[in-house]
Amino acid sequence: MANLKPMPAATKISAPFWQALKEEQLKIQQCNSCNGWVFFPRNHCSHCLAHDLDWKEVSGEGTLYSYTLTRIPTMPEFSDEMPQALAVVELAQGVRINTTLIDVAEEDIKIGMAVKPVFDKVSKDGETLLRFTSTSNAGGVRDYIDPLKDLERNDKGQVQVPVSNLAALYALADNNFTDWSNNIVVDQELINAFADLSGDDYWLHTDPERAKTDSPFKTTIAHGSLVQVLQSRLTIALPFEITGFKTMVNYGSNRLRFPAPVPAGSTIHGRTKVKDISVSHKGVQLTLEMNIHVLDNDKPSVINDLVILYR
Amino acid sequence: MGLAGNAAIVGAAQYKPEKYQTAPQMFHLEQVADLAHQALQDAGLHKDDLDGLVINGPQFHEASVFVPAMAAEYLGIEVNFAEVVDLGGCTAVGQIWRAAAAIEMGLCQAVLCVIPARMAPLAPDEDPAWMAQAMRYGGHSTAFGAPEAEFDLPYGHMGQNTGYAMIAQRYASQYGYDEAAMAKIAVDQRFNAQYHKDAIFRGKDLTIEEVLASRKVADPLHVLEIVMPVAGGAAVIVASKELAARAKKRPAFVTGFGERLSFKSPSYAKDMTVTPVAEAAKRAFGMAGLSPKDIHAAQIYDCYTITVLLSLEDAGFIPKGEGQRFIKEHNLTWKGDFPLNTHGGQLSFGQAASAGGFSQVIEAFDQISNSADGRQLQGCDNVFVSGTGGVMSEQGALILQGG
Repeated sequence: MANLKPMPAATKISAPFWQALKEEQLKIQQCNSCNGWVFFPRNHCSHCLAHDLDWKEVSGEGTLYSYTLTRIPTMPEFSDEMPQALAVVELAQGVRINTTLIDVAEEDIKIGMAVKPVFDKVSKDGETLLRFTSTSNAGGVRDYIDPLKDLERNDKGQVQVPVSNLAALYALADNNFTDWSNNIVVDQELINAFADLSGDDYWLHTDPERAKTDSPFKTTIAHGSLVQVLQSRLTIALPFEITGFKTMVNYGSNRLRFPAPVPAGSTIHGRTKVKDISVSHKGVQLTLEMNIHVLDNDKPSVINDLVILYR
Repeated sequence: MGLAGNAAIVGAAQYKPEKYQTAPQMFHLEQVADLAHQALQDAGLHKDDLDGLVINGPQFHEASVFVPAMAAEYLGIEVNFAEVVDLGGCTAVGQIWRAAAAIEMGLCQAVLCVIPARMAPLAPDEDPAWMAQAMRYGGHSTAFGAPEAEFDLPYGHMGQNTGYAMIAQRYASQYGYDEAAMAKIAVDQRFNAQYHKDAIFRGKDLTIEEVLASRKVADPLHVLEIVMPVAGGAAVIVASKELAARAKKRPAFVTGFGERLSFKSPSYAKDMTVTPVAEAAKRAFGMAGLSPKDIHAAQIYDCYTITVLLSLEDAGFIPKGEGQRFIKEHNLTWKGDFPLNTHGGQLSFGQAASAGGFSQVIEAFDQISNSADGRQLQGCDNVFVSGTGGVMSEQGALILQGG
């Protein structure tokens, strides 16, 4: 996970804040010693330094202390929010919170206006950010909207993701593998053919008789690089197709590992997942993690992080 | 309390601001030695006179710890006073008063204050991509447990522009906002830059209309109200009164200083429109026994036009809320009645990372020492200098006086 929108990493200190947001509550800390309100979360009071803070639920009503509308995104990942309505809200308790305003027209934003919280579900898993809106709006909860939901599909049923739709691209990196591919058998004949082609005729791959006694696997095994290239014979149904780019470049691999052997005669299959999407001046970079397994073996025989650049 | 005025700036050196793409690449150690050599020549002092070193810690290329030791060893000096200053754009001002204080305490007699800010050469196998990655979050920490990583970045609050924009918006809601007055700060400074041979925008005139027609970055800030990062670097020699008597140029004595750090994010300021320089300047003027009306030139840290407006008001040059009217009614150029950033400011001279703050310090020295070429003020004895780090987070003030 590199360049998706930065997400909060809750600490032991701040976890109750984020957990409350998930439960559609706003909780901030109050000091039992001096009654001062504290934000952001700390282990001590920022008014008197006492280590005696309690979490209290508050309504979240407050006023807009200041804001700006960005005309250039602060990071490329935020280009889907343009203009970003970056805001500082002062809660009734006096603490200030950095946030964004949503659902308020540019001309209606006024410093000093009354605002209320919106619990914005930003991921399928319910991760929640605290945004604010005008008190004339409903407020409450903004449900997660799957950015892939309304996109078109091609005749193979693949969702069509324009390379310019960052929100949809990020949604592809959901950590879920595709279905398994077709099966293929890696027999001694195929291994021998690869030995001839590559010049790697080490006995562990090519001498079944010696392997019976000397190999830790009691049989010959396929070359790791053979299994790697066999990915071309595996048909993997990607659930998406990237569209709207000028060129697509195979940028190589970020990681190539052969964790488990493939004994001669094994049946293999593969699957993949989108590991990362990142955006830079070079274009949109998609990292696909390709895994090839021996049938029924949980440990992959090949892990290959393929990098594809669209521009 | 404070300084007696027994330490002075006696020499300085500053690389001509250049675009990163075309500037020479040098190791930071190499720049330190080169700048020290030039600054000592400017002062008419010798390397062996140096017995103090103040340097930047963050962004030093060849080391992140033991920076003063590595630099002193490279220079071939031993020092009685070694210090790293980590105050962003306020680092230069912070270096100068620390050097002056160490000299007045009798720790040392001549201190090299230095910030290298040209890029270092890439290692043979170094992928320059790390730099773009490091720049992505501006001055924002992404470390686990850093409050800004957890409570700012997820909302897109990042870097300097939007923080300054929000300060300007808050100011506008309290006191009103006159875009043309704000643009005039940049325009008058651009006029000054035409008279400094090294200014990056020398030869390029600027009008209020051009500033207001330039692209908005974050309301209400236009791109021409925002400083341009350049490659550069600077060094200043601060020396005792006794050594200063031997110097080639008229020394600029450090007679007052102040420093105030109020927050990291302006969102947590007690009042977003009252900036830390208010406290710093009060202390500096008190120490020097001067008031703003005694000042012949104001060299005000200017990462944004709004920084200048707030600093002038909070340092006591203009009553709060009247800055924009004042700017429109006065000529802020070196030829005018209120000489401001007479080198062009960083907006027109260029901002070489945290060495940019030295451009204001060195301009003050140039004016006091009669070295300001075609933009020399007459009878310039008392100069006010400010420094600003972060998003108005930390500010410093210096009073420099000709002896």
